[in-house]
Amino acid sequence: MNLLPGKRKRQDLSTLSASMTNEERVVYNIIRGKKEMGIWQGEIKRETNIPDSILKKSIKLLISKTLIKEVVNIQNKSKKVLMAMDFEPSKEITGGEWYTEGRLDTQLIDALSDVCLKLISRKKVATRDGILEWTKTLGSEVFPGGVSPGQVEQILKVLVMENKLQEVNSTGFGDFSSIPAGEICFRLAKKVGTNVKVGVMASIPCGVCPRLKFCTPNGIISPTTCQYYQKWLDF
Amino acid sequence: MVTQHGIKLAVHLITNHFGNLVGVILSLSRLSDLFCSGIDIEILCVQKVCENLFSHGSLTLDQLIRFTELTKDQVKNSLLVLVQHNCCQAFVSAPEDDDDDADRLRVRTQYLVLFDNIIHRLRFPKFLETVTRTLDEECVELLDGLLRDGRLTLKQMVDRASQGKGKCFMMPVIENAVETKVVREILCKLLTARLVERCPAPEPVVSTSFKETTTRKRGAKSAKIFEAPETLEQRVLEAAVPGDAIRYSFTADMGSNADRETNSDDEQMISVEENTAKEEEILWRANFEEFVRHLRHKALIENIRTQHDDGTATVLSAVLEATKTVEKKVKLENSVPLSLDTITAEVMKTDTGRTMTMDRIRASLSQLGCSQRMIVDDAYSIDLKKIIERARNEEVESIVLKRYGRDAYRMFRLLSKDIGFHDTDQIAASTLVEKKEAPKLLYKLWKDNYLYMEKVVATGVKQITILMWKVNKPLLLEHVLDEMYHAALNLSLRMAFEQEKDEELLNVPKDKLKEPGPLQKKYKRLLNVWLLLGSSLMKLDEALMLFHDF
Repeated sequence: MNLLPGKRKRQDLSTLSASMTNEERVVYNIIRGKKEMGIWQGEIKRETNIPDSILKKSIKLLISKTLIKEVVNIQNKSKKVLMAMDFEPSKEITGGEWYTEGRLDTQLIDALSDVCLKLISRKKVATRDGILEWTKTLGSEVFPGGVSPGQVEQILKVLVMENKLQEVNSTGFGDFSSIPAGEICFRLAKKVGTNVKVGVMASIPCGVCPRLKFCTPNGIISPTTCQYYQKWLDF
Repeated sequence: MVTQHGIKLAVHLITNHFGNLVGVILSLSRLSDLFCSGIDIEILCVQKVCENLFSHGSLTLDQLIRFTELTKDQVKNSLLVLVQHNCCQAFVSAPEDDDDDADRLRVRTQYLVLFDNIIHRLRFPKFLETVTRTLDEECVELLDGLLRDGRLTLKQMVDRASQGKGKCFMMPVIENAVETKVVREILCKLLTARLVERCPAPEPVVSTSFKETTTRKRGAKSAKIFEAPETLEQRVLEAAVPGDAIRYSFTADMGSNADRETNSDDEQMISVEENTAKEEEILWRANFEEFVRHLRHKALIENIRTQHDDGTATVLSAVLEATKTVEKKVKLENSVPLSLDTITAEVMKTDTGRTMTMDRIRASLSQLGCSQRMIVDDAYSIDLKKIIERARNEEVESIVLKRYGRDAYRMFRLLSKDIGFHDTDQIAASTLVEKKEAPKLLYKLWKDNYLYMEKVVATGVKQITILMWKVNKPLLLEHVLDEMYHAALNLSLRMAFEQEKDEELLNVPKDKLKEPGPLQKKYKRLLNVWLLLGSSLMKLDEALMLFHDF
């Protein structure tokens, strides 16, 4: 259960309650009861049978009194979830630390990936903690919300999956001299300046064709009528 | 692994290659009127026989006649062509214990099509290039003859060599004897390198019943170790191929003659003549197995050179060169163990390795994955299977990246590295792919057979279906190989199409083609197209070998 600091005290709640209509009170209690999972408006209606117009009015008033908030649900972006201000939305609702407003924060991902690759390219080898320290020195302009160790670790793993980095154990010698032997660290997967090798199949039209399984020698899709082949051979 | 498109490619190669062969045979017989129709019929027969052998497995002559609906002579001639070119092997199935007398007397000769040998026809230029690099021009010419004609005796090789020098067939015996000695020497060079071998037994006896082969380790509680049963093709080839002592030797049969005492000069002369006659009757053919070994070594070395550096590639090359004659099979998982001293001595023999220090060699061996546990009794062994697997993974990942994009590439690599199942949300979270996009991409990969999927139903308050994903390596390998065969077939068909489209250009005199104009432009385009398609097919063939032969 995530609670914001400065939790409202019982007398505040009772004071607020006194200023609410019955419907508002019912709706607020239901929403607050769902804590960090929140609840969708349609579900409130099912539980309370409050008419639509009154329900909508109550929700609007509660929002204006900053008692509840709307949160985008990653599972269904069109159905916003209502949540008491006291609570932070759970990961199931937001999608986790990489999601903002229900969307994957690709800017953050790209910025952090870029920083990791540049640092490792310069230093030849780096650890997760080394990169984390470096992000702190870059300041809040680059990473306004800061960056957690978990995020750095995940980005490094994603870069390994993209075949841009290799995860290795430090030997303590040579390029690894500043890192204790045995510690996990990361280096570039390819030598700087070398191009990523394109496979043989990926270099010919059939290798990247989405219709290969429908292609037959005398069929509608065939090597002699193929548009991809035509473009490839059009010098 | 014989796949659907592999078979189509094999049949296409047979039709293509033997069309030319049959054309030559008919033109020599001067049946000019029947020339064109003759070629078509003959090619059709060979094609039909080949197709039926692929679809039904091994067949007797009678069965082939029935399935192909050809005449007995047509089927026999087709089989002769296929056997001559090592694309088919005859065998006799051994009588079974429960056979009655009639069955035991029945002729049991069956014919088995050899898929690998047909596909090897695609890479004859590479086999010739191997000999060009390692031996002399005369060896290349002799091998060329063997590849074109399938199998030859020494006498046929001599006749062929004589033809090539413009001499006629009717040479005095003494001059042919000199020619024979020269050709024999060239053949010996190829035999020493094991690039040529004696042809296999024409009709070995093979048991066709299959029993599960298991071996039990000592100890009552130890489990049975299941070994995949040998395929019929493996059994037939094992029975047909002679032992090494005979396979690469001229004189293995002559052992008894050599031991006999020579009583007189006459007997000695007869014996020599007999030996010569026997030698000239031995049928020889290219040893595809050795060529595949050469190409495998070449691929391993180039792979290491790209992944690491020239020094490490030199060390691997030296190890493979030193152990190639003692490798028991082509698809060796680990290199034959060698001591560091032996490896160093081998490395020093090479141009690039001459200046390498012991420490550098050790470092290279470490880069090749020779960790302490791989070193037994100071003998180093390199994990070759790992290098091959890595190359295969790179090839498949490259296809996924190009075809499905970066997000799919990350998800595929995650699943490739992990053996087990992952659910959709887990995959999206680990690879930072949008949660809504992940299922669509995973579904596409599954639909195209790059991923394996299972549904798990979780029962609770609500029944939820969870999709679990993984990479099934054996299935994936088979599928990618089939796609490669399909692509190779397409490249061949397109080459034929482009040639047919601009056929008239081939009849235009060369001087006219040199004049600037639309004709020259068309001709240049045709040359570029052939170069691109041809070189792409050769490169794709390397990938085919990586997935099937290595």
